[in-house]
Amino acid sequence: MGGEQNLSLVSFVRVKNPDNRTLKEAIKESLDKIEFDFDRKVGKLVIKPNMCYYYHPSTGDVTDPLFVSALIDVLRENFPGNHEILIAEADASAMKCRYSFGILGYDKIADEKGIKLVNLSEEKSRTVEVKINGLDFQFHIPEIFSDSNFVVNVPKIKYMSGSRISCALKNMFGCNAHARKSVYHVALHEAIVVMNKLVRTDLVVVDGLFVVGRSTKQLNLVMASKDPVAVDVAASKMLGINPQRVQQIVSASKEGIGKMDFRPVGDFDYFRKAFPKRTFKDNARAKAASIYLRVLKGE
Amino acid sequence: MLKTLNLGVIGLGQQGKTHLRNCLHLRRGRLWSVADVSKRNVNLAKRMGVKNVYTNYEDLLKDARLDAVIVTLPNYLHHEAAIKAAEAGKDIFLEKPLARNVEEGEEIVASVRKNGVKLMLGYDMRFNPVLRRIQEEIHCGFFGKVQIVDTTNVGSGPFMSRSESGGPTPVPSWWFDKELVGGGALLDLGSHLINLLSWYFGKVIDVKSYLGYIYNMELEDTAICILHFKDGPLATVKVGWFSKHNTQSIHICGTAENLLVRLSPSSTTATIWKDLKRKAGMFQQDPFYLELEYFVECLQKDEPPNPSGEEGLNDLRIISLAYKNMQKLAL
Repeated sequence: MGGEQNLSLVSFVRVKNPDNRTLKEAIKESLDKIEFDFDRKVGKLVIKPNMCYYYHPSTGDVTDPLFVSALIDVLRENFPGNHEILIAEADASAMKCRYSFGILGYDKIADEKGIKLVNLSEEKSRTVEVKINGLDFQFHIPEIFSDSNFVVNVPKIKYMSGSRISCALKNMFGCNAHARKSVYHVALHEAIVVMNKLVRTDLVVVDGLFVVGRSTKQLNLVMASKDPVAVDVAASKMLGINPQRVQQIVSASKEGIGKMDFRPVGDFDYFRKAFPKRTFKDNARAKAASIYLRVLKGE
Repeated sequence: MLKTLNLGVIGLGQQGKTHLRNCLHLRRGRLWSVADVSKRNVNLAKRMGVKNVYTNYEDLLKDARLDAVIVTLPNYLHHEAAIKAAEAGKDIFLEKPLARNVEEGEEIVASVRKNGVKLMLGYDMRFNPVLRRIQEEIHCGFFGKVQIVDTTNVGSGPFMSRSESGGPTPVPSWWFDKELVGGGALLDLGSHLINLLSWYFGKVIDVKSYLGYIYNMELEDTAICILHFKDGPLATVKVGWFSKHNTQSIHICGTAENLLVRLSPSSTTATIWKDLKRKAGMFQQDPFYLELEYFVECLQKDEPPNPSGEEGLNDLRIISLAYKNMQKLAL
């Protein structure tokens, strides 16, 4: 039991009939379960959702603005003092924040809650040069991620070609101000770990309302932890993937970003069973398609 | 012997590149020139062997050796480009929709008539061999009297993933501007189905529509239109930009026979197979190739091509009526 004390806590809470009230209750419960202490000095609260593309939240691909709205309420009600809250996302190769903020409904939330939407690609950033596998890469880290600010990572749970899974670690990859993120795809796992070293996550609250497995499913899950590696380990187990075979998880753990051993608090087994996992046949088909696309691109 | 026609492609966006590739394989016409504001696209055309390249399409139109142009520009440029091409005496293949609105469409059609050139609209569904066969069967009476037709074209519309050799590329910004695009899913996808149904059943006498806005955009991302044809059935046109996956289908219900045709979704395997076929030069069944081959054939034989400008204008009038008679869905 003494060993368990050192494990990272990951909470699992089911939301019934998600709306602002039930989501707030579930998020608060998930934070209580991981013994999250709000009584601390922080600067701005920076929320980083996953807005990978112009998909509706019901596809499970992007963080639901309703979830973020409830999270804002919880943070406001529990952190002492008045904190400025920001929702931050960077442009991607195919997605532009100036459109996605509006299309996905984040601008409405910003108006309602009186918070600021930040396009990280348009923010001041510092450049960090990192050599990966003999190749030089530049990472552009927005100044908003200074040590004094509190970063809340709000990822989704999904399969992803390249990184195998997308959850807490992959979501922070999106903090890079550089829009053409496809340049990092040759060393994606390593780039994910670098970004997680450069931008530390203070709290992960996973929007598991809709998840992307073999198909999209409304799982109505809220998952929370202070450890992004532990969250990804739990997510990969739900996806039916051995976390030891997810390169960014293993490397991030070695780099001290988090622990691979975690203690689930809540009904982890229910969510693990309920998650729509891919079958062996699905994986083989996805792999064949991925190889074909790589051949097409001449990689 | 019929003359081989010189074709120019104006606009090398997603659709323009498809036409560019298909032009290289035409039996009756040859790709003579291209124009695009992007130097990257122009260089791509050069690498594909196109000798005459321009970054301004007006320069392309000045070339007396050029017979016809394929215009695949954003909707807001159709009016200007089509009229300039007509005035330059070039026959025109114009990607659908004809224009952003009826007024612009009327001016294009008037200019085409005035300058004595030919205009064909790029409605690829009209060249789908299955849909062509249905048209023949309708007119042969295979279905008896057709009472109800249900058509669907749902997908991600302009939000489809786009990629080039350098990786994924963003959705062009004009797609987010109502003023520039002219309409949402109804104009973009509905125009295909409305054109097809008008080809099948003739004149529309009444239109009702419901538009939805699941995304926070000015443009509708969901639309259901009910068309009442003078001599035929009631038909529904259901379109959307909201889905990650494509669904295209047509369901014809007649007194003698019913038929449901699912044109998509296509599986990954089917997509790969289609791609391999295209790479192997097997263009014969590709509607985008067939429509160009037909366009060139019409020009050589001096026959008016279809879908004509007038048909495109008729589609715009129906869509305009649908916008006028619409009810907003609270989605």
